[in-house]
Amino acid sequence: MSDYLARSAQYFPLLLEGVTLTIVVTLGSVFLSSILGLVWAIMAVSKSRILRGISRTFITIIRGIPIIVQLFYIYFVLPELGVNLTALQAGIIGLGLAYSAYQAENFRAGIEAIDKGQIEAAHSIGMTDGLIMRRVILPQAVRIVLPPFGNTIIMLLKDSSLVSTITVAELTRQGQLIASSTFDNMTVFTLVALMYLAMAVPLTFLTRHLEKRYATS
Amino acid sequence: MISVEDIRKSFGPLEVIKGVSFNVSQGEVVCIIGPSGSGKSTILRCINGLETYNSGAITFDGIKIDPGDKSIVNVRTQLSMVFQRFNLFPHRTALENVIEGPVQVKREKKADAMERGRELLDKVGLSGKLDAYPGSLSGGQQQRVAIARALAMRPKAILFDEPTSALDPELVGEVLSVMRDLANEGMTMVVVTHEMGFAREVADRVLFLESGVIMEEGSASELLRNPKHERTKDFLHRVINPLE
Repeated sequence: MSDYLARSAQYFPLLLEGVTLTIVVTLGSVFLSSILGLVWAIMAVSKSRILRGISRTFITIIRGIPIIVQLFYIYFVLPELGVNLTALQAGIIGLGLAYSAYQAENFRAGIEAIDKGQIEAAHSIGMTDGLIMRRVILPQAVRIVLPPFGNTIIMLLKDSSLVSTITVAELTRQGQLIASSTFDNMTVFTLVALMYLAMAVPLTFLTRHLEKRYATS
Repeated sequence: MISVEDIRKSFGPLEVIKGVSFNVSQGEVVCIIGPSGSGKSTILRCINGLETYNSGAITFDGIKIDPGDKSIVNVRTQLSMVFQRFNLFPHRTALENVIEGPVQVKREKKADAMERGRELLDKVGLSGKLDAYPGSLSGGQQQRVAIARALAMRPKAILFDEPTSALDPELVGEVLSVMRDLANEGMTMVVVTHEMGFAREVADRVLFLESGVIMEEGSASELLRNPKHERTKDFLHRVINPLE
């Protein structure tokens, strides 16, 4: 047991470096997917048939391709077209794009849940579409969208391990590297799993808290 | 002030307004009555540009109502609307609902708008509910906030779309009395309503609408006491004696 702990202590700093990158990838792709998801969602509910079509087509394509293939495409294929990205950039952009499709569906549901009467009332006091989105729809949609948003962040945290396949040295990748040089698979991957749990569990509690808080109002 | 000229409106193959014309002058209170589905609300919604119309013309102070044109925003700041289901913003307090238009649309100073918002909520009898959210207010209180919100825009006219139809019977009076006060102050109003008592007391003119046409129109006392058209007689009889 003491041997086990000693080895854990030895791997710990390396794995923590991986945790840092995992957090960077997760936060980066949460940010990117939220912004893009909001754009797709607003396009999906717009009056323009063209914008709705673009949004629907994009979402359909993204949801139909495995995330890992999207990552390979961005990291290995784009350079052939003259777009060179670092592994980290490619990872964040890939996950961000992939998750923007799921976020868009969340946001759209939130936007469409707002009663049409309120939108008419807003029009009747002279508010323009942009003002209505900002002052009437989004503040209310945020409350509806928060709990599923929390779940999305947890899924993104776990799926950030996918960027290990394009050489980003995040937690899973660091684990693989240590394990392949030490053959101490049990210690390494137990630590890796515990570190993911340590990040995911607080998020789960936060999401449950939000669900309870907004369920009544 | 409001001129409606021979407007027609279809939803798909169904023509719901079949050539309706009327004028509303400044300070006038016009009530539109008629059975459900007769097109009353649709006409009101066309005047506010919430609904398009297929032909004819509606003008407000000489400006043509065109929901697709930017001018509609200008019209709406002068022509408020009160809805059957109140349509308050549930995430904002009573006072915030009232100042939303003046601050966001008319760019008034927030302090001035709040001052006036308090006055208006006091006027509709809700000075104690400034910070209440719509969800904690009764239907009658919500509708009075909605009227204060409409007034906050300093409109030249207000359109009321069945303002008491969604209310419990004992709450109808508080809303109608606010509306009567407005009428007495000279506000131009178009009111779609089933409240014949209100129409009789407050309206200058009553239009009876059925199947998308104005069957009869006249002064409130004349049309409600001595309807000429059989349909009007029949409708009024049924409204006043629902069990016969």
